[in-house]
Amino acid sequence: MRIRLIMAIWAAKLAAFLSQKFGWKGSSLPGVVARKLYQGTLRDLASQARKGVIMVTGTNGKTTTNNMIANVIKAGGFRIVVNQEGANLITGVTAAFVRYANWLGRINCDYALLEVDEASFPKVVNEVKPRIVVVNNFFRDQLDRYGELDKTVQLVRDALKSSPNVHLVLNADDPLVAQMQSTTGHQATYFGLASNQRNDGGTKQTRESRFCPHCGQELHYDYYQYSQLGAYSCNGCGFRRPQPDIAADEVETAGTMSRCRVSYPGGAAILSLKTQGFYNLYNALAAFTVGHLLEITTETILVGLLNYTPAIGRMETFIYKNKPAILNLVKNPTGYNEGLATLLNIKGTKNVFMAVNDNDADGRDISWLWDVDFEYLAEHHHNIEGFVCSGLRGEEMALRLKYAGVPLEKISVIKDMEQAIKEALKGPGQTTYLFSTYTALWATQKILLGLADKEVPHAQGLSSVS
Amino acid sequence: MLKVCHLYPDLLNLYGDRGNIIAFVQRCRWRGIPVEVLEVNIGEQVDFADVDFLFLGGGSDREQNLMAADLLKRKASLQQAIEEGLVVLAICGGYQMLGQYYLTHEGKQIPGLGILNLYTRAGQQRLIGNVIIEANINGQPVKMAGFENHSGQTFIGDLEPLGKVLSGFGNNGQDGYEGARYKNVFCSYLHGPLLPKNSKLTDLLISLALQRRGMDITLTPLNDDLENSAVEVIVKRYLK
Repeated sequence: MRIRLIMAIWAAKLAAFLSQKFGWKGSSLPGVVARKLYQGTLRDLASQARKGVIMVTGTNGKTTTNNMIANVIKAGGFRIVVNQEGANLITGVTAAFVRYANWLGRINCDYALLEVDEASFPKVVNEVKPRIVVVNNFFRDQLDRYGELDKTVQLVRDALKSSPNVHLVLNADDPLVAQMQSTTGHQATYFGLASNQRNDGGTKQTRESRFCPHCGQELHYDYYQYSQLGAYSCNGCGFRRPQPDIAADEVETAGTMSRCRVSYPGGAAILSLKTQGFYNLYNALAAFTVGHLLEITTETILVGLLNYTPAIGRMETFIYKNKPAILNLVKNPTGYNEGLATLLNIKGTKNVFMAVNDNDADGRDISWLWDVDFEYLAEHHHNIEGFVCSGLRGEEMALRLKYAGVPLEKISVIKDMEQAIKEALKGPGQTTYLFSTYTALWATQKILLGLADKEVPHAQGLSSVS
Repeated sequence: MLKVCHLYPDLLNLYGDRGNIIAFVQRCRWRGIPVEVLEVNIGEQVDFADVDFLFLGGGSDREQNLMAADLLKRKASLQQAIEEGLVVLAICGGYQMLGQYYLTHEGKQIPGLGILNLYTRAGQQRLIGNVIIEANINGQPVKMAGFENHSGQTFIGDLEPLGKVLSGFGNNGQDGYEGARYKNVFCSYLHGPLLPKNSKLTDLLISLALQRRGMDITLTPLNDDLENSAVEVIVKRYLK
C-alpha cells in the first residue's frame, strides 16, 4: 500500500504546484487527485497523528473554533496538521494532509485538527477516526444545498453513533447539540454561558428548534442567548440544558476586544480575546474545553486564545484614516443577526457596507435575507449614517432594508465594489462596518487592504491574563 | 383596518416566507391604510370571514404534515371565505395543499383541501433556481421574478395560471405556466419571497382586499425604483 500512497502524494503535490503556478483557487484539487489514485490516502495519513484527531463541526464558527483550538494546542508545544478555511469537504481535508506529508507519505504531528462540513462529516468519520469531536451549533444554512436542518442533525448524529470511542465537546446551550450525548451514547464535556451575559438583548429572530429533540414536545425556556441557544427544558421527557463543565460569565467588551470569566473543574480564570461577538465566546469556550481535555495548563490555553487573531472576515479589523473598519462574513440568518447585534453594540456613529452575492458558494437562493431581523436594525438606525449595498444582488439587499423600515435616503446601491467600499469608508461615521457573503469576501478584503491598514489588536483596557 | 393572517408562522417560515407579510403590511402602512397581523398557529382560532389577506407558505416535510392535519379541520370555513372573495397568497406547500391531492413516488394519494381543481405529483428532479414569469396584472403584462425550489409538479387543468414562464421551470417544467389563480386566490412556486420585489402584484392584492370590504381601492403611488431594479437584475441575467 505504501507505494500507492506515495504515488498519490507525489501526484497530488504536483497538482498543488501546478494549481498554484496557474493561480487557480482550488485548495481541494490535490485532495481530488490523491483520492482518485489511492482511496486510502486520507485514512493512511490521518492514522499517523500520534495523539489523535480532533474534529470541529456544526453550522457557524467552525473556522474560528478550529483556529482557536490550533492556537491552544500550538501554545501547548504540540505539532499539528490543520485544514485551511473553507477546505472542509473530504477532498479539502485530504489536501490538508497531503500538504503536511513528506515525499515518503509520512506525517510528523501530534494532533490533526479538522474543521468538517456537516454534510461531509459522515464520509470523513468513515475514514478518519476522531478522538474528540466538537459540535458548536446547528442553524439552517443554505437550504437549497443541504435540504432541511433535521436532516443535517441526523447525519451528524448517525455518523457519531457509528464511530467508537469518541469524546464529545458539546454546546450545552443548544438543544440540537446537547442531545448528541444521550442519542449517541458517547462521553461528553459541555460548555456554555451563564444567563444575562449580553447587554444588547439579542434580536427577536426565528428560533430554529422549539421542540424537544427527544419527544417532540415544545421546549420551555428560562432565557435565550440567541436563536435557540439558552436554558431549555422539556416537560415531556425531562430533557434539559446540561450543567456546563466549562462555563463563562462576567462577559465584557472593550474596543475590539472581549473577555469573560471562565469556570472549569478545579478553578476559574479570565479569558481575553482579540475579537468581539457573542458567538466568538462560544467558539473560545469550545477551544478552552478541548485544551482542558488535552490536559494543557489553563495558563497556556489562555495565552493561546489571546494570541488568536481573526481569520478573513471574522470581525477582521482595518484602520482607514484613524477609523476602524470591521469586516464580517455573513452566510445565514443567525450569523447575520449576530453580526447586526455586534454592530449595534459598538459605540458611536457608523457607516455600513453590505455585499450580497448569489454564486454557488453563497447559496443561489438569497431568500434567507428575509429571515434576518433587519427590523431590529431599523429600530436602532439613528447611529448609522448610511448603508451602501453592493454585490450581484445588492438591489435585493437594499430592498430588504427598505421593507425593514430603514429610511430610503440612508440606502444606496453601488454595483462597483471598490466604489461602494470607498463610499462607506469615507462616510461620516466613526466606524465602518462591512458585511459580505462568502464569494464577495476576498474581493472586499483585497480592496480594503489597498485602501486601509490591517489593525494589530492590542489588549489595552483589559486586565492582564494570569 | 385590514386584517392579515399568517397561518402557522412557527411551522411554515422556510425561505424568507415572512417577506411576503412584511411587503403587504409595509405597502399598506406607507399609504396610511391601517393593518393588523394575526399569527395563527396549530389549534388556534381564526375566523376566515373576518380576515382580509391570508398567507399560506411552505415548510419542511415534518412541519408540513403537522400543518396539513390542522388545516384540513379548517377546510369548510376556508372554502366558504375563498368563495366569498378572501384574498389568499399560497406558496409552494400551501399551493399544493389547496389542490385535490399530492401523488407520491410510491403512488400514494395524499388528499389536499380540494378547494382548487389542481393536483400535484412527485417529480424525479428537484426544480430549483431563479424564475422569471410574465403575469397579467390589471390587463398589463408584468415581469415578475423569484426563486423556486420544489420537487412536486403541479397541474392546474382549466385554472388560469399566474403567469407564463420566461425562464425557469414553473408549475411542472412542462406546460410553460407558473402558479394558479382562482377568484382572489393566487398560488405560486416563487418563494423568493414573491411580494417584496413584485410590487404590482402586492398592490393588486391590497386593492382586492379593500374592494372585498367595499372600501376605496385607489392606491397612492409609491416610489418602486428599488423593487423594479431588484427584478431587473434577474431579468437581465436570464433574458438576453
